[in-house]
Amino acid sequence: MQKVIKHAAMDALKVGLLGLLLFGPMTGMLLDGYGIHYAPSRAFWLVGLLLLGRFMVVVVMNSPALSGVADLFKRKDRVEVVVSPMGQQHHKILVVLTLMVAMALPFLLSKYWLNVAILALIYILLGLGLNIVVGLAGLLDLGFVAFYAVGAYSYALGAEYLGLSFWQAIPFAALLAASFGAVLGFPVLRMHGDYLAIVTLGFGEIIRLVLNNWISLTGGPNGLRTPLPTLFGMEFTKRATQGGTPYHEVLGQWMEIDYSRAARYVFIYVTLLVVVTLLVYMVQRLKRMPIGRAWEALREDEIACRSLGINHVMVKLSAFSMGAMVGGVGGVFFAASQGFVNPASFTFFESALILAIVVLGGLGSVVGVIVAAVVLTVLPELLRDFTEYRVLIFGCAMVVMMVWRPRGLLRIHRPEFVVEKRVP
Amino acid sequence: MNSYVIGQQLVNGVVLGSIYGLIAVGYTMVYGIIGMINFAHGEIYMISAYLTAITLAVLTTWGVDSVFLALILTLISSIAFTALYGWTVERIAYRPLRRSTRLAPLISAIGMSLVLQNYVRLAQGSRNQGVPSLMEGNLRLVGENPEQFVQVTYVQLVIVLTALISMGILSWTIQKTALGRACRATQQDRVMAELLGVNTDRIISVVFVLGASMAAVAGVLVTVNYGSFDFHVGFVTGIKAFTAAVLGGIGSLPGAMLGGLILGLSESFFAGFVNSDYKDVFAFSILVLVLIFKPSGLLGRPAVEKV
Amino acid sequence: MKAWLKGTMAAAVGVWGLAAVAVQAEEMVRIGVAGPFSGAYAAFGEQQWRGAEAAIVDINRGGGILGKQILLIKGDDACEPKQAMAVANRLVDNDEVQAVVGHFCSSTTMPASEVYDEAGILVMTHGSTNPMVTERGLKTVLRMCGRDDQQGTVGAEFVVKRLGAKRVAVLHDKDTYGQGLADAMKAHLHTLGLTEVMYEGLTRGEKDFNALVTKIKAAKADAVYFGGLHSEAGPLVRQMREQGVDVPLVSGDGIVSEEFVTAAGGGRFVKNVYMTFGADPRKSPEGKALVARFREAGYEPEGYTLYAYAVVQSIAAAMQESGSYNGVELANWLKRHSVETVMGPKSWDAKGDLKVSDYVMYQWDENGKYAEVE
Repeated sequence: MQKVIKHAAMDALKVGLLGLLLFGPMTGMLLDGYGIHYAPSRAFWLVGLLLLGRFMVVVVMNSPALSGVADLFKRKDRVEVVVSPMGQQHHKILVVLTLMVAMALPFLLSKYWLNVAILALIYILLGLGLNIVVGLAGLLDLGFVAFYAVGAYSYALGAEYLGLSFWQAIPFAALLAASFGAVLGFPVLRMHGDYLAIVTLGFGEIIRLVLNNWISLTGGPNGLRTPLPTLFGMEFTKRATQGGTPYHEVLGQWMEIDYSRAARYVFIYVTLLVVVTLLVYMVQRLKRMPIGRAWEALREDEIACRSLGINHVMVKLSAFSMGAMVGGVGGVFFAASQGFVNPASFTFFESALILAIVVLGGLGSVVGVIVAAVVLTVLPELLRDFTEYRVLIFGCAMVVMMVWRPRGLLRIHRPEFVVEKRVP
Repeated sequence: MNSYVIGQQLVNGVVLGSIYGLIAVGYTMVYGIIGMINFAHGEIYMISAYLTAITLAVLTTWGVDSVFLALILTLISSIAFTALYGWTVERIAYRPLRRSTRLAPLISAIGMSLVLQNYVRLAQGSRNQGVPSLMEGNLRLVGENPEQFVQVTYVQLVIVLTALISMGILSWTIQKTALGRACRATQQDRVMAELLGVNTDRIISVVFVLGASMAAVAGVLVTVNYGSFDFHVGFVTGIKAFTAAVLGGIGSLPGAMLGGLILGLSESFFAGFVNSDYKDVFAFSILVLVLIFKPSGLLGRPAVEKV
Repeated sequence: MKAWLKGTMAAAVGVWGLAAVAVQAEEMVRIGVAGPFSGAYAAFGEQQWRGAEAAIVDINRGGGILGKQILLIKGDDACEPKQAMAVANRLVDNDEVQAVVGHFCSSTTMPASEVYDEAGILVMTHGSTNPMVTERGLKTVLRMCGRDDQQGTVGAEFVVKRLGAKRVAVLHDKDTYGQGLADAMKAHLHTLGLTEVMYEGLTRGEKDFNALVTKIKAAKADAVYFGGLHSEAGPLVRQMREQGVDVPLVSGDGIVSEEFVTAAGGGRFVKNVYMTFGADPRKSPEGKALVARFREAGYEPEGYTLYAYAVVQSIAAAMQESGSYNGVELANWLKRHSVETVMGPKSWDAKGDLKVSDYVMYQWDENGKYAEVE
């Protein structure tokens, strides 16, 4: 034990010295105009905390008595668990349970949390879309937000210039985003790994800049208002604004119903839930279909695939535009729930966030994407009470998660490769 | 078209390009050695800007009057502290992920960039900071007429010269020294280098330190030239520098400088003669076009498909 | 890891603080303060918070509203529309605020105010100058500041009539506020019979505008108008001077901050810079005592600090006098009555704009201070 403490003390001292050098100038000397204003106590507090923290961590990690605690925080780097057919039975029950909870949510949540839930569902949608591209097909796309923007703007612009309704906008946006994906993807899919990533990043920025600069069409930074969604001509506003009838007047003929501001959000939430459920089903099916197998095979070994006669450009292109399509649909829902779009919502940071959802969830794992999307949208809202430290904590969480679980939150289940016994 | 204006835009472009090039070096070296896009590099540059201003302010209170001395001391201190940040970032966020998937360090880098940005915001406040202008005056290159001339300010001259010198020192280090040889060996085949007794973890740290040092040089030069920064500057500049690195061929040192110059010049000329609204669209379009026709950048080695 | 620890500490303190607040929050009037407390515009958020905080301290000391104390609730939108929507919904549904001070950026005030309007909550912005904020027929939206079209008009008149400029270059930062300002400027220049020699945007967050400056020089502009914030205006004016473009730079209220001087690299670069801003609230006789108190506490109440103070005052006055917390009633009361604020008496028209727009021109001098142009 004494040895452990001595070791820990030495280690803490080293870290403390480093901390002093790092934090000293930055937190202890405050720029004030062109002058400087010393605040040494801040730096010393920080360094002190760091010293203490490091000491505790080293002690806990190294003392045999506390090895149980240390094991909890060991890094878990293993992936790809093979699930037995029995395990899949449990899955079905879980899926039903999750769906039931999701259906019950609109009745339990306040409008604010319902809004967060909608955002979470949108991110699930985007995560699933990007998951097809990055997780399944292995194409690193850093500009996924471009398709999200195309979707959102095709609703806003479609409503403005073509008079599209919410329901017409969904297929329109899906089609438009998919063709954007195909057109942009065609020249770039010949590229390898990271160059693809950078070109997609470039495309993402180009689309945002064009949306921002083409003022006569898009309204530039002022953005565009989007009409609120309707259902069979029913509007979710107190007074009719688009030539339909407010829902409480229609439904009021049959039942006791009052206007509630939450109704619109409930509607968007339920629609989104249906779309997400369908998409999850679709992705699960796709993974088992030849095209999905081709994606994963191409991700694992492109040369082998090409020598087996798989048309790699077409297969990649299909993944790319499929992902883009999902992103476009996500954009429509985003525009509908916000009632307003402007280019500021489609920065590179958004792409990074969606990518973080996919990676954090575990590449290729659908459940992982769902969990990660919920965590990454709910976490910042929970942290909203610590306004100042919100983004800092969020960033820390990202780093810590990656260091702790570099392969994502969930292990990838591969029901396809059920092997009961190893071949000797 | 007025030839003086063209000349002036040429000067503008070269100065901007040298800065991009200096920051691009950090991206290109890290990419070359561990194949990862270090998104936190822009923030390292931002931190160096703060350290520059802090050092300058401290020097002023100590009564250092000579501009030359102040610059040298600032350069040294900024490089030292920024390099320390570079080292720490690598140690905390990337080294544990060395043998992990390709994407894990990318996400960790994005997280790190958020952390650094907000750490600086909390530590120094969100105000726009600045340093007073140190050097005045300029050099008229062509033209005596008070209306038509091409000029370069002394600070701009210092920027281009310092960029050239530090690139020279860096190239020499990589090409001629034992350390550089170890770096190149690690870049080509990490496992083999390790087998031959190269401490690759240490070499990777060195690469981060070198990259951060170059960002620090850029930070000092930019801060002295433009005199204004906030905790947000890392992002825009970082993306541009990164684009420059890719344009020149990521992994190649001369490529980073060349990419920076091309990017700086194309921005200057497009903004100056066409339309500054679309200058970034133009810059990114160039990137996309170059990559379509020359998929590994201008000076990058073509990717070899290992079968 | 270290920063992480720091965050955890802060979190723990935050939880404790919130728990303490929750206990006593029952009998209070809740007012939301929504603005950019993080992100690139956090400096403006700080001005807003300081002003609002000082106001509730004073009002609470004077007995509060209808005998109740006021509680401020912070909502950080970072000037992003998406976050603004989240903040607005949260303030309405979770925190159940009775009125909102903010938001700051026009691009966030516009979407967020629809939420408040639907919920019938009064929202008064202290800094969103885009005309569309009050042009949309919303019933509970008011503002304490002027409008970009008024600001543009004052700017254009000044540029043409006082400076006698013939070749004006109009620049903006491609954002709701800056571009709105530049457009208003351009429009009024046209009515004065002048066509701008160039109209272009620069990218926010960048510092190198040399290419643009060379272009201005080549266009032989004799005045430059810039719609945007100080973080870009500073480097812009410095690079103009360094390239020998000594023509006046005129801008709007986005550069009302000492940081403009810091960003420009010293007082001598901001010479010959003009801006439009409401008559300096720091000079109004009503605000003298407050300004002195701020300065005593080591804070210079620049920019929007007093605006936020006045917004809280107006909200409190409306609640006190009308005895209601209903947003529509409060807004109607404010539109009919005049309120004595720290910036002098204020009254509103039917749209929710101030009846008297008091934009005047200011000039920066080489000491880095601004003063009204005589």
